[in-house]
Amino acid sequence: MAHSDIYAHIDRSAYTNLLAKNSPITKGFFALSALIISVSSQSIIVPIIIFTITTVLLLRFAKIKAHFYLDLLIYPTAMAALSCLFIALFFGYGQALTQINLPWFTWTIFKNGITMSVNTFFRVESALSCLYFLVLTTSITDIFITLRRFKVPRVVVELSLLIYRYIFVLLEISVKMNTAQKLRLGNSGLIKRMRSVALVAGNLFIRTLEQGERTFVAMNARGYDGNIRVLEDLPKPKKAAIFGIVLFDIILAIAIFLTTNIGVV
Amino acid sequence: MHIMEGFLPNPWWEIWFAIAMPFVAYGIYRLSKVTKKIPEALPLLALMGAFIFVLSSLKLPSVTGSTSHPTGTGLAAVVVGPGITSVLSIIVLLFQALLLAHGGITTLGANVFSMGIVGPMVAYAVWIASKKARLPTSAGIFLAAALGDLFTYVTTSVQLALVFPTSAGFFDAFLKFGTIFAITQIPLAIGEGILAVILFDFLAKYKGQLLATLKVIKLPGVSSTQEEIKS
Repeated sequence: MAHSDIYAHIDRSAYTNLLAKNSPITKGFFALSALIISVSSQSIIVPIIIFTITTVLLLRFAKIKAHFYLDLLIYPTAMAALSCLFIALFFGYGQALTQINLPWFTWTIFKNGITMSVNTFFRVESALSCLYFLVLTTSITDIFITLRRFKVPRVVVELSLLIYRYIFVLLEISVKMNTAQKLRLGNSGLIKRMRSVALVAGNLFIRTLEQGERTFVAMNARGYDGNIRVLEDLPKPKKAAIFGIVLFDIILAIAIFLTTNIGVV
Repeated sequence: MHIMEGFLPNPWWEIWFAIAMPFVAYGIYRLSKVTKKIPEALPLLALMGAFIFVLSSLKLPSVTGSTSHPTGTGLAAVVVGPGITSVLSIIVLLFQALLLAHGGITTLGANVFSMGIVGPMVAYAVWIASKKARLPTSAGIFLAAALGDLFTYVTTSVQLALVFPTSAGFFDAFLKFGTIFAITQIPLAIGEGILAVILFDFLAKYKGQLLATLKVIKLPGVSSTQEEIKS
């Protein structure tokens, strides 16, 4: 899927999934605590549990389409697999698993390198599922309003909301320019392609500046005082849900403690 | 180079957050000062942030056949200074994690440190040094963007080598990561440098007045808001 499709899709699903009306605090708390537990894990068991639970929540309860979720997972998974293979083959220390004698050096594969790599792979997958849980169920506006409530500086939230808006505006312009260049054979050959990218970037920057000036005038005319007010009509988190998540986290934390020394080789 | 979500285990992601936060806090302090003084700077900075995000979705061909993208933060550091660039980068990186699953939340600290702090600071320092040395503007921009890009990857290699050591210790691991990245990154850094020069020339041609106002280049008889931003 092209980049631009991905964010449009993620954004749409954040507004239309069946968990969209739940409190962002509950969803954020669940995703972030599960994320932190995943990255603290020393074995593959807890990440597998977390991955399974978040995936079930996404597919069954939020009703995210399975093929879209798979599309999202596949590229980072391929990247993770490649990086982990690299770690398994070249990294680690201590007890050797096997040694291969090559004419110019001895290539040693370490037990601990394999363990590190497998653990990392599962950690990445589980962390990714938590990240997707957050972004596929919660809209960016909700996330930033919640951040504002947690005392993130106003100017940062303000800047973020504006950036979020402009990303879509600029994206549309850049897609149009790109299409125009393609139609005029602007991408035929390396040098032409470089020039095309630079031209899009340059024109986009100028459009950006002009748009910025116009927006400022328009906002001032409507009484802009440095604060964008959004309707903060968010549902309150349910006590039972928060309690359930805390319990879930405690169980997983104990599981991490119990599975610390389970290696794969 | 984005370190993906979950790639850094427990103590490391917290450590990188702790290291990155003072820089970002300083950036936020500068940002609130600037926006108080010059209110029209906020929509402009927001557009710069969106610009960096969109730029990173424009694929750039690299010699090794893989495609990658310009980071744009080197140029941003030259135009608005490294402090504000670090705030813009943390927001853009958060959006890349949230909207593209490129990077991640736990690795945000490490990614901000390499791409939003080290890269832009190197770029800015190189730019200032090249101005002092009276190098031509395009050479200065090229060096700033290319070196900023390279140092981002050096930092990423350090971050990964600390987590995944080899039998010969940290330095060996650093060299291994560094070598792998160098294959794709040296051509990319050169690509980014060239792109920055073309982009900058384009800006100087059509928006020279603005660059002069921001005091990036000198035009006679233009007052500077950069002074105001700086103070």
